[in-house]
Amino acid sequence: MAGASAVHSDDSLISRLDHSLLRVERVFVLVAGIFAFMLMFLAVISVTGRNLFNEPLRGYVDWIETLMPLIAILGVSYVQREGGHIRMDILIGQLKGRPLWLAEFVTTLAIFLVIAALVYGTWAHFDRSFDLSKPLWSRDSTIDIGLPLWPAKLVVPVAFFVMSLRLILQLIGFGRAFVLGLESPAAVPLVQSVAEQAAQEAEHISGRD
Amino acid sequence: MEPIEIGLWVSGIMLVLVVIGMRVAFAAAFAGLLGLIWIFWAKKGYAPEQLGWAMTVAIKTAGQVPHGKVASQALSLIPTFILIGYLAYYAGLTRALFEAAKRWIAWVPGGLAVSTVFATAGFAAVSGASVATAAVFARIAIPEMLKIGYDKRFAAGVVAAGGTLASLIPPSAILVIYAIIVEQDVGKLLLAGFIPGMFSAFVYAALIIGLALTMKNFGPPVSGFTWRQRFEALPPALPIFAVVVIIIFFVYNPFGGDAWGTPTEGGAIGAFIVLVMALWRGMRWPELKDALIETAKLSVMIFSIIWGVLIYVRFLGFADLPTAFSDWITSLDYPPMLILICILLAYAVLGMFMDAIGMLLLTLPVVYPAVMALNGGEAVTAAESTFGMSGTMCAVWFGILVVKMAEFCLITPPIGLNCFVVAGVRPDLSVQDVFRGVLPFFFADAVTIALLVAFPSIVLWLPSLA
Amino acid sequence: TEWNVSVWGKRRAFTEHVEKLAELVSAKTNGEFTMNVSYGGLSKNTENLDGISIGAFEMAQFCAGYHADKNRAITVLELPFLGVNTLEEEVAVSHAVYAHPAVAEEMAQWNAKMLMTSPMPQYNLVGTGEPRDELAEFDGMRVRATGGLGKAFAAVGGVPTSVTSSEAYQAMESGVVDTVAFAQHAHLSFGTINEADWWTANLNPGTVNCPIVVNIDAYESLSDEHRAALDSSVDEAIDHYLANYGALLEKWDSVLAEKGVQKVMISDEELAKFREVAAGPIAKAWIEENAAQGLPAQELYDLVNSTLADMRK
Ligand code: NA
Ligand code: NA
Repeated sequence: MAGASAVHSDDSLISRLDHSLLRVERVFVLVAGIFAFMLMFLAVISVTGRNLFNEPLRGYVDWIETLMPLIAILGVSYVQREGGHIRMDILIGQLKGRPLWLAEFVTTLAIFLVIAALVYGTWAHFDRSFDLSKPLWSRDSTIDIGLPLWPAKLVVPVAFFVMSLRLILQLIGFGRAFVLGLESPAAVPLVQSVAEQAAQEAEHISGRD
Repeated sequence: MEPIEIGLWVSGIMLVLVVIGMRVAFAAAFAGLLGLIWIFWAKKGYAPEQLGWAMTVAIKTAGQVPHGKVASQALSLIPTFILIGYLAYYAGLTRALFEAAKRWIAWVPGGLAVSTVFATAGFAAVSGASVATAAVFARIAIPEMLKIGYDKRFAAGVVAAGGTLASLIPPSAILVIYAIIVEQDVGKLLLAGFIPGMFSAFVYAALIIGLALTMKNFGPPVSGFTWRQRFEALPPALPIFAVVVIIIFFVYNPFGGDAWGTPTEGGAIGAFIVLVMALWRGMRWPELKDALIETAKLSVMIFSIIWGVLIYVRFLGFADLPTAFSDWITSLDYPPMLILICILLAYAVLGMFMDAIGMLLLTLPVVYPAVMALNGGEAVTAAESTFGMSGTMCAVWFGILVVKMAEFCLITPPIGLNCFVVAGVRPDLSVQDVFRGVLPFFFADAVTIALLVAFPSIVLWLPSLA
Repeated sequence: TEWNVSVWGKRRAFTEHVEKLAELVSAKTNGEFTMNVSYGGLSKNTENLDGISIGAFEMAQFCAGYHADKNRAITVLELPFLGVNTLEEEVAVSHAVYAHPAVAEEMAQWNAKMLMTSPMPQYNLVGTGEPRDELAEFDGMRVRATGGLGKAFAAVGGVPTSVTSSEAYQAMESGVVDTVAFAQHAHLSFGTINEADWWTANLNPGTVNCPIVVNIDAYESLSDEHRAALDSSVDEAIDHYLANYGALLEKWDSVLAEKGVQKVMISDEELAKFREVAAGPIAKAWIEENAAQGLPAQELYDLVNSTLADMRK
């Protein structure tokens, strides 16, 4: 939640892969934030244009609908890497060692199954709106100014594909921890000790409020 | 097996997945996908050669949801309102508000906690998302309360509860979502939230003062600020008032002319003002980048739950569970007010297991028409209605009640999002600690809701002027 | 056989033919073939064609203007000033165009087959402030209108402004738009009539086209008896729709009186000017653009006109 990453690093292959993927995920989440920023400017432009020049932004809603998937979905893998998606940890928080890694492996596997299916499902959704033989390759468009929908639809399977790579890494990470009986395995989000979290939290918010 | 039975089974499976610690967004999506496969296969009589077809159709149907539902102008308020909150945080507005509240009101019993409540109420006027408000104040208010000896669980509870005010006091993302679902005037609903939001804040304050007077070892009042110090604390908090005025004028022009735009635009203009303020106070790219990343992360968290739950809701649509529920409700032979109270109680129970936005998205298409019918229909006049208010006003009243209910669920276990967020920000607190600390506010909210039900004019006075 | 039917909103004049069709089909097959009409539970309204293509449900309603790129051929029916005067004429031209092979081919790409239309009267403006009854007054007017209608108003200096239909009322109240173009039932159900000072009774710039389609596989796998029950019920369902909408239109004048909305008549001269700037050039642009993509655009446009001429013989 607070940006305190609870993922350990070491010099293992999986940890290096974790960092390679993290680079992509960081770009994705920053792009999502920048587009949230642009959403604000769109409205400012629309209001000033309308009130000062009687010329509202044409296709304001269409542009918003095009930006939203970028903002809302692109960062999904980054948040998964940090273990930031909401869950109930009342039960899983009680576990330690091998039972914990087993439980994490099982729930992560279920997430992997649904995301892998959705890579296909959301790709099909994109594919129905995409046709190389049509102008702008478009077979589905927005209501007001007819923007092609396929770029926004393509964002989703791309984000989910990166997410499924992340889940494979986490599955290997938890599986390895289970087999080897590790204490604090690399490349997976850990339920941190209080002291560790406190240190990171202090570092994160210092001088920012 | 009947579709409705499949619906109940799959809902049960989802609950189990959530309880064993699967991330909520994906547990809902998993259950929805499973349910879709089940229902399509059942339609083909479970013929083995049709399983592949059922899976393909189910996955493609689920695959429409993330893009289709997220690409929405109404929901674009959510990242905007989160951004405004983070920018306000980086502009130092939260600290300034808390400081002003502390200097002016911390002398009362339980003063610092009361100050926290009113600072969150003030921050609610620039923040549209409860969780963001809770996250920000967990960083500012809890350390100060701990310093002077508050119980850490109670301190966390104050922040988690105070955060819920953001969804009643405009701007409010969830009120906008309600208005969109039931096709009512967004402006009226945003106005209607203001007094109940402040009312809730006063009930919280009364509760804290009562506890401070009766309990030993409660945090002491903080006094000794001079009038000079008090007035000095005001100017840094002033931009909040600028934003409040902007947002109000974009919703409703008190001087009788046209409003200045839509709520969507008002939120964005407010964010822009806070951005200018933050830049002026020395925010540069590293801080802005942090604000943007935090906005993106919280948005992704919320939107993942939205599309995850909506895959499950899509399945419910095929299972026809909502219609079955609706028929059942309207066939009941009890007094309408009792039915309304039961509906609110059902929200309390459902909210224990479900995210607020997901819950409203799931239920309102069914429950809202039932409630309107109880009152005598959409076009009913106040004189002929059951609850003594016109159809439009009933929509506003029920909207505020439902949103208050949904906010109530942000502080109830097991999925009280605000409590998770506070625990997430504060390393020394577990979720269970926060749930324990927030317990008194749970009762305060129950009282507030009872009063809003008994005296609808608390809700309806302001919008009736517009 | 049970079919799922995906429509949206709530039950209203716009969906009465679907409800009637379900009733007729069930009655004709002694309840063996039923239709379960879902208002928004199965799909988002702009994705009903996707759902048909997937095979998630068997029947659906959609509007051409929601996504022109999905259904380029039938957007001919949304061109401004086609000169359609009655709902009966709207049904005739729609069904003539639906029967054209180019439309059938485009729909087949979505695994869809046209069943019938949902005829809507001409969209007319409601507005606030002084009535705008001269073309010159449309200059700088912020108007909520989509598709071909938006283009028509832009041609006379209007500013088409995007808001969703559910935000239209709010947009009018807040002055984001000065005027909103809807059919009568939508002015009622989205509440824009409550905010209005005037309504253009005879501007009649055009309308939106919203067909009902069926999934081809589902249609072909029906038994002969069930398919006959479906096909034979279409005309009766449309008749029911027309009667029901006709009753609504009759009430319309009393609604205007009740809400104190002024009925604005625009002079023939002004209408002719509007038609001259908007109708011809926009139709020409449409024909050129779609012909370039290999659609028999001129043929479709001529088909509309010849069907109207036949109707009036
Ligand atoms: Na707020
Ligand atoms: Na914690």
